[in-house]
Amino acid sequence: MESNSSVIAPTTPRWNSDRPFLTGRFHQETKASSLNSETKGFSMDFFSSPEVEKAIGCYHASVQELIVIDDLLSALVGIEGRYTSIRRIDGKEAKLTFQVDASMDLALQELAKRIFPLCESYLLIDQFVESRSQFKKGLVNHAFAAAVRALLLDYQAMVAQLEHQFRLGRLSMQGLWFYCQPMMGSMKALSSVIQKASSNDYAGVDVLNLLQSQAKAMAGDHVVRSLLEKMSHCASSAYLVMLERWVYEGVIDDPYGEFFIAENRSLQKESLTLDYDAKYWRQRYSLKNSIPSFLADVAGTILTTGKYLNVMRECGHNVQVRVSENSKLQNFGSNHHYLECIKTAYDFASGELLTLIREKYDLMGKLRSIKHYLLLDQGDFLVHFMDIAREELIKKTEEISVEKLQSLLDLALRSTAAAADPCHEDLTCCVERSTLLKRLSMLKDLEISKAISDIDLEEPASITGLETFSLSYKVQWPLSLVISRNALTKYQLIFRFLFHCKHVSSQLCGAWQVHQGVRAANLKGTSISRSSLLCRSMLKFINSLLHYLTFEVLEPNWHVMNNRLQSAKSIDEVIQYHDLFLEKCLRECMLLLPELLKKMEKLKLICLQYAAATQWLISSSIEIVEPQSGSGKELKCRTSSKALKFTKNASVTDSILKFEKEFNAELQSLGPILSSRSQAEPFLTHLAQWILGVGNE
Amino acid sequence: MPREIITLQVGQCGNQIGMEFWKQLCLEHGISKDGILEDFATQGGDRKDVFFYQADDQHYIPRALLIDLEPRVINGIQNSEYRNLYNHENVFVADHGGGAGNNWASGYHQGKNVEEDIMDMIDREADGSDSLEGFVLCHSIAGGTGSGMGSYLLETLNDRYSKKLVQTYSVFPNQMETSDVVVQPYNSLLTLKRLTLNADCVVVLDNTALNRIAVERLHLSNPTFAQTNSLVSTVMSASTTTLRYPGYMNNDLVGLLASLIPTPRCHFLMTGYTPLTVERQANLIRKTTVLDVMRRLLQTKNIMVSSYARTKEASQAKYISILNIIQGEVDPTQVHESLQRIRERKLVNFIEWGPASIQVALSRKSPYVQTAHRVSGLMLASHTSIRHLFSKCLSQYEKLRKKQAFLDNYRKFPMFADNDLSEFDESRDIIESLVEEYKACESPDYIKWGMEDPDHLMSGEGNAAGMVDPNLPV
Repeated sequence: MESNSSVIAPTTPRWNSDRPFLTGRFHQETKASSLNSETKGFSMDFFSSPEVEKAIGCYHASVQELIVIDDLLSALVGIEGRYTSIRRIDGKEAKLTFQVDASMDLALQELAKRIFPLCESYLLIDQFVESRSQFKKGLVNHAFAAAVRALLLDYQAMVAQLEHQFRLGRLSMQGLWFYCQPMMGSMKALSSVIQKASSNDYAGVDVLNLLQSQAKAMAGDHVVRSLLEKMSHCASSAYLVMLERWVYEGVIDDPYGEFFIAENRSLQKESLTLDYDAKYWRQRYSLKNSIPSFLADVAGTILTTGKYLNVMRECGHNVQVRVSENSKLQNFGSNHHYLECIKTAYDFASGELLTLIREKYDLMGKLRSIKHYLLLDQGDFLVHFMDIAREELIKKTEEISVEKLQSLLDLALRSTAAAADPCHEDLTCCVERSTLLKRLSMLKDLEISKAISDIDLEEPASITGLETFSLSYKVQWPLSLVISRNALTKYQLIFRFLFHCKHVSSQLCGAWQVHQGVRAANLKGTSISRSSLLCRSMLKFINSLLHYLTFEVLEPNWHVMNNRLQSAKSIDEVIQYHDLFLEKCLRECMLLLPELLKKMEKLKLICLQYAAATQWLISSSIEIVEPQSGSGKELKCRTSSKALKFTKNASVTDSILKFEKEFNAELQSLGPILSSRSQAEPFLTHLAQWILGVGNE
Repeated sequence: MPREIITLQVGQCGNQIGMEFWKQLCLEHGISKDGILEDFATQGGDRKDVFFYQADDQHYIPRALLIDLEPRVINGIQNSEYRNLYNHENVFVADHGGGAGNNWASGYHQGKNVEEDIMDMIDREADGSDSLEGFVLCHSIAGGTGSGMGSYLLETLNDRYSKKLVQTYSVFPNQMETSDVVVQPYNSLLTLKRLTLNADCVVVLDNTALNRIAVERLHLSNPTFAQTNSLVSTVMSASTTTLRYPGYMNNDLVGLLASLIPTPRCHFLMTGYTPLTVERQANLIRKTTVLDVMRRLLQTKNIMVSSYARTKEASQAKYISILNIIQGEVDPTQVHESLQRIRERKLVNFIEWGPASIQVALSRKSPYVQTAHRVSGLMLASHTSIRHLFSKCLSQYEKLRKKQAFLDNYRKFPMFADNDLSEFDESRDIIESLVEEYKACESPDYIKWGMEDPDHLMSGEGNAAGMVDPNLPV
């Protein structure tokens, strides 16, 4: 056997071309030789005698009949006779036809011509069988050819029997015609199928589809239909073995590229943790264009079944569907047994994979853990982290040491409730370079990118780690199927928003504490009391925002998703529900509404500016009075070494009023936006209720 | 460990409620009477280290200081089954053991004398924590030790730990029955001044209301101290759940308080709890949904501060802020609906000068404590009607003061020596202004409260300085 590197399939052995009589290829050569040497046929005629080649017309009709029968018996197996010859018609499709000596008795000629189509079909079919048996033609063709070859054997046996009868002198021309009759229809139908198949050089799925459609088209002719059905049954058996391996083992065993599922080996499962588009799951295995028609309805199911099995194999989890006789796919007939088998296999694979991911890999635990950290469901670690990492975070993004943050994060995690969660070690820090808005605009699959104009994307002069800090989570295969890069990115976006809100909130708490520090002074009617009320409004705003984000968006949506995941039947449903959850959260967290997001950022900025100024505002209006014996009695705190006295400071008053005005104006401007958009986005009503309050109704 | 809280229990009442509080915390965290983690307490997710720390042998020790001037209650604790729970170095009992004789001035003065000992203990505890968040003081305001010494401690803490928060659980005396402490109004007034000036947050536990709740809600004919104290410990432990069981928000004390307290002095909080049960009394088990719980929390009869307001005044009273801590299995989608319902029914009367709404914190329930109810709720609220409680204290004080009754006991101590009673007057002024401030909160233009010339301040000065108008260069 010679191997050829350019062809995947083994090459056909040389004897195939060298020994035409062994392989039946001589038929093809017939045409060539019959063209240039009209007289010299490749006859193997027993009766041929050296003197021969008298025109048949010179014999008596009864003799002629014997000669014609003899010739026809040869022609039936594709051999030229003395008075029948094969002629090749060069046309669009090269076609071989039989011809008969014109001097023959007309009646005999007529009968002979009626039998010729059968001979022609045989030639065609035989040739097809030989050519399709070559390796490169694929398994379906092989199977089909083998089935046809079996049929041809029957046919040849019939011819041999006829010949026997003939030898016994019992076969007349009419008899021959009579016996050929039953085969005519089948052979004709088969040859027309074969003609189509070979002229289009069909292979694989196309052959199957052709056979099936022809069988259907021949529905009226019982014999032909059952023949074609048998053929398509045989032809598909190899295919079904492939299918079986796929749906029962998740293996593509397809040396000739006939299977309707393609594998893209360049996509590695590791890419899931990096690739934002999560191509692996969608494109590693895909459906080709041509799908066997009888599988067309279940192609998707078949694809996923194998995918699931594959995932499990990649996990090192050995599963094998128990293949009983019942679940063999081979007999797919009209009873749709194969559909049930596929359904069973699918149920098994998806159930098994789901159990695997849920139980062995603890998907829900992982998601809960992500919720603890990225959605701040267990926010105590963040309080501690912000305390210890603030110094690092207020630096510019380029100057931040991620390693330092990571160690601080680890410290924070170890010393809070998170310590009890074994998953906390999968948490890592990252500091991004761009603002939240810009990051959002870079994600092409979110529709926000169009809505943000370039002006908004101009980086503020200095953005600090507080704006860009984010957490990341190490997700291992196979959980990365669900928590893909794409999903994780969305979690991170939400986290960044929450984190910044938390930061603002903690800064305002600091400002609140500063106010608390001066409560000993009589503040009635001063700018300080005004300031403390502004501080309250700001705290109220940021807390309401956080409240909305967590209790009105994250928690209920999580709850819904959690319930759905419990009842999900397959990993695809799980992925779908999880993606849906994230999409909904992003939307309701306003991350897809740049207009509102910008407003929120602006409000937070005012809060931060105010919080930063508080220390100065308070200290420049409060004077620490050193205790003097006997004087300043109304303010004096007996045990305390100092007393506080309010002094009026115009610039403090001004800036407090300015902050107040700016903040209130910004907050009030939210009202119309929220109410105008709440038609399309009903969740904004909730937000409005939280932020704008109900006391003002 | 981060954001720790040190508890100081001062005086008879303070130690009693403190004891109940620690009992409750131990139960909720699965810590045994000896401070050892129970075998069943394996479910993580709670934060014990806010209130406990672990000794070398891993047993949990409360961050608590037990302080009293007489030994009875503390001895009781030290002879109880919880004797091994506390750090014995953290127990302070006055050597003479004579108490403060229900005299605020005596308690205050003795506090001054033992300041060093006690501050040493506090410093030691504070040094033992990573980032101390603040102190919690449990005391009563009517007696001698809790009020007097408590007051002294408040001032000292404020001075020495000015950056730390001080929260108190202050028990107000029962006004319905004649007290054996006749000078109660004096003590209350003097303590109230310190609570106003030196605490960041005061959770008012009104014995009158607690008694009423015990009688009306729990159907106890003659509630004992133990029974009312169990109400207190329920409230105390519930109000710390967000610190102990981390959630989305309110994971630190400052966050919790900052959202509740509007201005530095208006930091007195009311509480409400539902459903209430005391031990041995499996009450009628009611349906508990989020809405039910929230609705019940707003009912006056469940509020643990009695309102002395007359009907007209009561209708003026307004909520400044509300935080509902809901514990148990809650469908989070119910929260929004419940709030919506409460809003529609106008069940809450909020202040008009600023945004206000009910905040909700969903918190886990301890897995180790079995209750018959699915959901329970605690309300922490800042409500203007609390001023009537202070007015009541004031009027009782005035009555007594007019008669110049029992002042001699006070004159014995340096603060009131030489017949210098200005401390009383000063305290009275401060409480009065507090009452006024709460009253002002009821009006829609509280923001301008006390401004001599609001118009001038608003427009004249601002524009004149050119800072309000953004178009003008500064």
